[in-house]
Amino acid sequence: MGLAGRYLEEKGFSTVVLNPTHEFSRRVGIPRSAAIEFPYGRPLGQVGDWEGQRKVVLKTLEVLEKASKPGEVWHLPFTWPEDPKDTKWMPPEMSPVIKLYLEEIKRARQREAEKAKR
Amino acid sequence: MSPEQQKVDGFRFMPPGLAAWVRTFIPEKEFEGPIPWTPLPKPMSRLTFSAVTSAGISQKSDPPFNMEREKKEPMWGDPSYRALPRETTEKDIHVNHLHINTDYIKQDINVMLPLGHLAQLEKEGVIGRLAPTSYSFYGFQFQSNDFLQEAFEPMSKRMKQEGVEAVFLTPA
Repeated sequence: MGLAGRYLEEKGFSTVVLNPTHEFSRRVGIPRSAAIEFPYGRPLGQVGDWEGQRKVVLKTLEVLEKASKPGEVWHLPFTWPEDPKDTKWMPPEMSPVIKLYLEEIKRARQREAEKAKR
Repeated sequence: MSPEQQKVDGFRFMPPGLAAWVRTFIPEKEFEGPIPWTPLPKPMSRLTFSAVTSAGISQKSDPPFNMEREKKEPMWGDPSYRALPRETTEKDIHVNHLHINTDYIKQDINVMLPLGHLAQLEKEGVIGRLAPTSYSFYGFQFQSNDFLQEAFEPMSKRMKQEGVEAVFLTPA
């Protein structure tokens, strides 16, 4: 979505990305990011929580309005009410690319664990 | 709220293996190249908005995003897009995405694409207008940027025709 934001800004649109993984801005250079610590597939909030979703929309619009230079990441002040493992955001079946890279994923985890020990 | 606050952990909801792998794609240093920028042309209360999500949402009357080919070719993601009229609700849509649980969006489209909220904010005068059309594309674009030409070029043309000035983007 970062590349999409960049494309649209180039075409003359002002954009804001409500981003569950704002760290991607370090790779892509996202024009305006509103970072949200919510599970994937529900960046605006919980099902049926109109008031909660509205607060997220308004804060995201505030980022659109107040960001003063390209690449700014604003961290939104919201907390998801469930523990990550209870959010059930993952698909029922492991995605094709994850299946393909499973060994590499395991190695990445091992490397991080070894690095943490040092 | 300020841009300097560092507190959102974008890896909190990922299982540790996936987080470790995704981190291998993300540099530790801030992005240093140029970043395109269009300043807001007018106050929020006069701006025309569209919204775009990468969640693979299509109207039931349109063909769904292609999941079958991705199941056979795991590096491929459907590069097309679908237009979503501003009145679209969860009753009108299919959601196809192999990387998230799509059940929540099917129950309430506003968890992913804030069409109801932007329409309400238009009514209240907080924003100027929600354009007739918003959009979805498919966010898994791993090895190719073809989706920019295939989806965003036609989308941006239609946005211009509808007077859109600002775009609310929600990655899945």
